[in-house]
Amino acid sequence: MSNPEMAIPITRAPPVAAATAARAPLRTFWGELPRALLLLAGLAALVYAASGDNFSLNILASSFLFAGLASAWNIIGGFGGQFSLAHSVFFAVGAYTTANLYLKLGLSPWLGLVPAFLLAAAVAMLVSWPVFRLRGPFFAIATMAFTEVALAIGNYAEWLTGGTRGLSIPFRLGVGNMIFRDRMSYALLMLGFCALTLIVVVAVHRSRLGYYLQAVRDNEQAARASGVSVLRVKLTGMAISAGLTGIGGGLFFMQVRVADPAALLSLFDFGVKFALIALIGGLGSVYGPVLGALVIIPLESWLRAELGGLLPGANLIVLSLLLIGAALFMKHGIVGLGRGLAARVAAGRSTGDRA
Amino acid sequence: MADLANILAVGILLGGTYALVSVGLNLIFGVIRVVNFAQGEFVMLGMYGAYAAYAVLGLDPAVALLVVLPALFVLGAALQRLVLARLRTEPTMQIFATFGLLMLIENAVLAATRGTAYSVPSAVAQASLSVGGVQVGASRLLALAAATLAAAGLGLFLRRTMLGRAIRAVAQDSAAARLMGVDVERIYWLTFGIGTALAGLAGCLLAPIYSLSPQIGTSFILPAFAVVVLGGLGSVLGAYVGGFIVGLTEAFAGYYLDPALKHAVLFAVFIGVLIVRPSGLFGQVGAEEVGLREQS
Repeated sequence: MSNPEMAIPITRAPPVAAATAARAPLRTFWGELPRALLLLAGLAALVYAASGDNFSLNILASSFLFAGLASAWNIIGGFGGQFSLAHSVFFAVGAYTTANLYLKLGLSPWLGLVPAFLLAAAVAMLVSWPVFRLRGPFFAIATMAFTEVALAIGNYAEWLTGGTRGLSIPFRLGVGNMIFRDRMSYALLMLGFCALTLIVVVAVHRSRLGYYLQAVRDNEQAARASGVSVLRVKLTGMAISAGLTGIGGGLFFMQVRVADPAALLSLFDFGVKFALIALIGGLGSVYGPVLGALVIIPLESWLRAELGGLLPGANLIVLSLLLIGAALFMKHGIVGLGRGLAARVAAGRSTGDRA
Repeated sequence: MADLANILAVGILLGGTYALVSVGLNLIFGVIRVVNFAQGEFVMLGMYGAYAAYAVLGLDPAVALLVVLPALFVLGAALQRLVLARLRTEPTMQIFATFGLLMLIENAVLAATRGTAYSVPSAVAQASLSVGGVQVGASRLLALAAATLAAAGLGLFLRRTMLGRAIRAVAQDSAAARLMGVDVERIYWLTFGIGTALAGLAGCLLAPIYSLSPQIGTSFILPAFAVVVLGGLGSVLGAYVGGFIVGLTEAFAGYYLDPALKHAVLFAVFIGVLIVRPSGLFGQVGAEEVGLREQS
């Protein structure tokens, strides 16, 4: 697999990709950055276009949040091929860190995001260190079990989480409190998170760490034989991924201002949804998770508005069908579809030239 | 002392329940090498099947088995042929697909029932026996007996019959089995069907014990994974013994620690075993890695 971006676990990269990879020079972080910034500018334009329309702004804010969260998951789940179902735990760790520092010590949530990052990364390294020797589904099961442990602890530790009643943050307007009245501010806040994550993803992807992660995913034994310190690479990837997820958790909590452990640790709403969005967008690709979130989140809120009253769970039925369909027929996600299309157009053009 | 007897009884009965739920999961894993995240949902479907048989035909859950088991066998076989057969060599996509099935079945039932909680009355359910001063629910006892019979029956089937031998041959080495003339694809869908039918058996027998909700499937799947990992991947005996380990762990942790923490303790033990001996107590060492090596 010469082009790492195309290297999606287990499946072979289509031959067209190999051909384009041979032509394109290796892109560096600085080479890739303009593309990322262009995408982010496009997203900012969307916010601008939606100004005044609170419904659209809410959907955008949510889409950006999940774009960031799915991108963060993609670092370890997509590049690294480690199917983590424990990311809702890191999400909750970040949420409770930010919220408790604000409630108990009066620390501004803006500053609280730093310990949220650090603590989520530390927890992630601690819990994944022993289970990184497990592969594929076994890693997934173990991380799913962590979610269950965290839920039990979360419901038990009332001083930290408010127990089953949940924890709430009083409505005190102020930029320092990260509490706003207008929806525009939240959309921009989440766009900022999305931007941060995307830039980190680009940096990781074009770094030694990114190539190591993909080498470990594609063939762990070969990577080890080539001198890659497999455990260290996985742990570093996991720490970055979980830390960013923790920041997302802190931002989410400050936006909703009330949540209980069952909601934050929900597999459907968070843990699996990160992976689902990454898959729909393009597993292991740089921009896939962002595109996936921009499709899935609006679709889901539309479904919820249209069908939610008629049939409970209808939105999740559609999502699950999408998930199964993508696993069967669209393993490279939206990014893969776009690449296939571009390759076909390019192939058509080159045969046209010859004629 | 009476306390201890009580905890033991609770643990063993709960263990029977878990063993019953896990046998099918482990069979599917051992033969097809698919970790079926949707297995708990098949148990849930079995429960609703028992309810439907009661509501429409007035059947007792124990009789409803005659309808529910074949139905779940067909469903499982169809899912294997239509979905999982296409993802043989792709563990990551298998996780996505079986998790998608989990979401689909749970929410389809939620949509169909609109979230109403049902309960299934059973002639056996109300009865309870007193054994040496310990109250024992007849339904739990029935589940325990069924788990024992199912594990023993499955073990005999796998050892003594031609089909069972073919299934074991595929589990050991599907390529060699194919060369010996075994129709591997057929074995896969048969096995998946048997696995889901066993989940249906669990569902029917557990229906009188639990209040039915679409979410109940997910509450079975993690203990079932714990059972499978503890007992040994792919081992029928392992699933049976693992059930009791998990049941007893839960009962003791619930009594001596806080009941709210019993799940945390259980999964801490589970993760511990997964790390120390990933192959489980009765599994072959290395199965957790061999299981993922692509077989074709």
